[in-house]
Amino acid sequence: MSTNNSMKRSMGLKASARISNTIIYIVLIAMSFIWLIPFICIVLQSFRVESTWQVGYVIPQKWGLDNYVKLFHSDFTRWYLNTFIIAVVTALLQTVIVLCMSYTLSRFRFKMRKALMQFMLILGMFPGMLTMIILYRVLKDLGMTQANAVPGLILVYIASSGMGYYVSKGFFDTIPKSLDEAARVDGATRAQVLTKIILPLAKPIVIYTILTAFMAPWGDFVFARYISFGTSAGMNVAVGMYNWLNKDMINSWYTMFCAGGVIVAIPVTILFMCLQKYYVEGVTGGAVKG
Amino acid sequence: MANVKLTNVKKIYSSNDGTHKKDYVVAVHDFNLDIKDKEFVVFVGPSGCGKSTTLRMIAGLEDISDGTVEIDGEVVNDLQPKDRNIAMVFQNYALYPHMTVYDNIAFSLRLQKMPEDEIYERVTNAAEILGITEYLMRKPRALSGGQRQRVAIGRAMVRDSKVFLMDEPLSNLDAKLRNQMRAEIILLRQKLNTTFVYVTHDQTEAMTLGDRIVIMKDGYIMQVGSPTEVFERPKNLFVAGFIGAPQMNFIECELTREGGEYFVKPFGVKFPVDGAKGQELKKANPSTGTIVLGVRPEHIVLTDAGQGGIPCTLEVNEMMGSEVHLHVYTEDGTRLVVRVPTMNLSQEQRDHLKQGNKVYLKFESKVMHFFNKETEQNLIYA
Repeated sequence: MSTNNSMKRSMGLKASARISNTIIYIVLIAMSFIWLIPFICIVLQSFRVESTWQVGYVIPQKWGLDNYVKLFHSDFTRWYLNTFIIAVVTALLQTVIVLCMSYTLSRFRFKMRKALMQFMLILGMFPGMLTMIILYRVLKDLGMTQANAVPGLILVYIASSGMGYYVSKGFFDTIPKSLDEAARVDGATRAQVLTKIILPLAKPIVIYTILTAFMAPWGDFVFARYISFGTSAGMNVAVGMYNWLNKDMINSWYTMFCAGGVIVAIPVTILFMCLQKYYVEGVTGGAVKG
Repeated sequence: MANVKLTNVKKIYSSNDGTHKKDYVVAVHDFNLDIKDKEFVVFVGPSGCGKSTTLRMIAGLEDISDGTVEIDGEVVNDLQPKDRNIAMVFQNYALYPHMTVYDNIAFSLRLQKMPEDEIYERVTNAAEILGITEYLMRKPRALSGGQRQRVAIGRAMVRDSKVFLMDEPLSNLDAKLRNQMRAEIILLRQKLNTTFVYVTHDQTEAMTLGDRIVIMKDGYIMQVGSPTEVFERPKNLFVAGFIGAPQMNFIECELTREGGEYFVKPFGVKFPVDGAKGQELKKANPSTGTIVLGVRPEHIVLTDAGQGGIPCTLEVNEMMGSEVHLHVYTEDGTRLVVRVPTMNLSQEQRDHLKQGNKVYLKFESKVMHFFNKETEQNLIYA
């Protein structure tokens, strides 16, 4: 009798779990669809060849790669290359700086260490835009604006990167110090401890740092527009393509704009798809790793 | 292989992060010790006595606030750990979790840029000695505590280091494994034949492993000596209480001198201090008065009523197998512990040793210890 009851109860639980799972999946699918609509529209528009104008329908009547071909015969390639150089160089330098800074703050004890950390925390609360005017002035004096905006932007992006130490320092703090000590006794220098012991153990956080360091300059608009200041040679994709949206150009460049959007999204999508496993681990890893 | 010399070594910790008022804690005070080549020295003491700090100063993992540390005649105060040619085993093993056992052991050799075939030979050799050959390709997380500790020892073994440092290497192991590993460390020491500095809070480890034991308290050395020396001739109350289990009994009593002979009178029962101990006491010629008498639990014997023994009431009888530990209290409420070999007890005596029963105790005067009540120093050996 009691076995029958418990069987009924477990069957009831299974059924209610199935119903709640179904509802969750329906909601998630609906949300994904809503989120994906703009992307789907952009992709479809990028293959439309019957006109470059904005039209009242989504699915193209004539399909083709004309927009992409035209795109690569415009300034887009220059902007894309600029963006790529800025993002890759920034990602590399910023990652090195952030990881070294985090390691230093996690492992070394020196005068004013806590004060420095608090100072950087407070400094980080001010919006970066506040520094725009003075930065422009400084970069202009250094000859790093307009056509030379690429090194200027790299400088701006990496200059304050040490302040983004929080997440990786938190992760490094969870790695036992006795590992550093064992390695140092084994004959390793501090740099070797970082590269041979700490970084392999902190792989998720390294990936996370690279991704975030790549993403910010890849999609930046405000600083990039300000520093390139209307010179096409110094623009990144976001700034360059934005110019196609003004009312004189939109109708002849709209579908190219969509094609550009697709090309811009490709490297970021590939990066995320390859590294998403580590990315999620990196964001949550520091909190749970004992 | 080398000697290690510590001269007036001091460690001061201060809060220097710029956010707090400066606080100073002296963890190690004027530490002087000359460790001979191939000697096995054990630092022992309770938590916070500065033993690990001293070891870490030898290793170069802590800055030395004052004094000098010499390894093989060279002052190493300003040398990085990697330049001191030492090997160290940590309490929590400190194995590199992302490397296999082989890579863990080979790590230091690779840093020395040793040829791979020589590394292979050394690693497999060490693994064979430690019985971990079959685990060489495993990651540390797939090993048990004992196996991990062997890997940690292996990692230290493969290097031809001058000094072998061990920081409580057995304290994370269970009691049975600890005994086994202790024996293995003795064998390892014979094989390596190098200078060992070993830190532990376990006096049994200290007694069984060390050629010399350094007993520390609050950053000060209390006594340095061979295991026999510190056990038989403790310089002060702390050493007497720390070495030996169960702990030595301490009784406040009068030391008197009659006709050239010394007497102690614990609990109103007068015992003469005779034999070699009496001679030593006479030579030291301490003044009479209230002293602290130290008697080890194994130096108290049970006697029958009417034989001049100290009357006590049995509180707890701990049967340890080969011996019994009797916790008794005297008429004035002082608690004492007595250790009696089981084979010395007749069935009748065993039956009598029940809670609440009266027992009579006699002290073996030839192994008594006498301490100054104020200075806590041994009246003979201090």
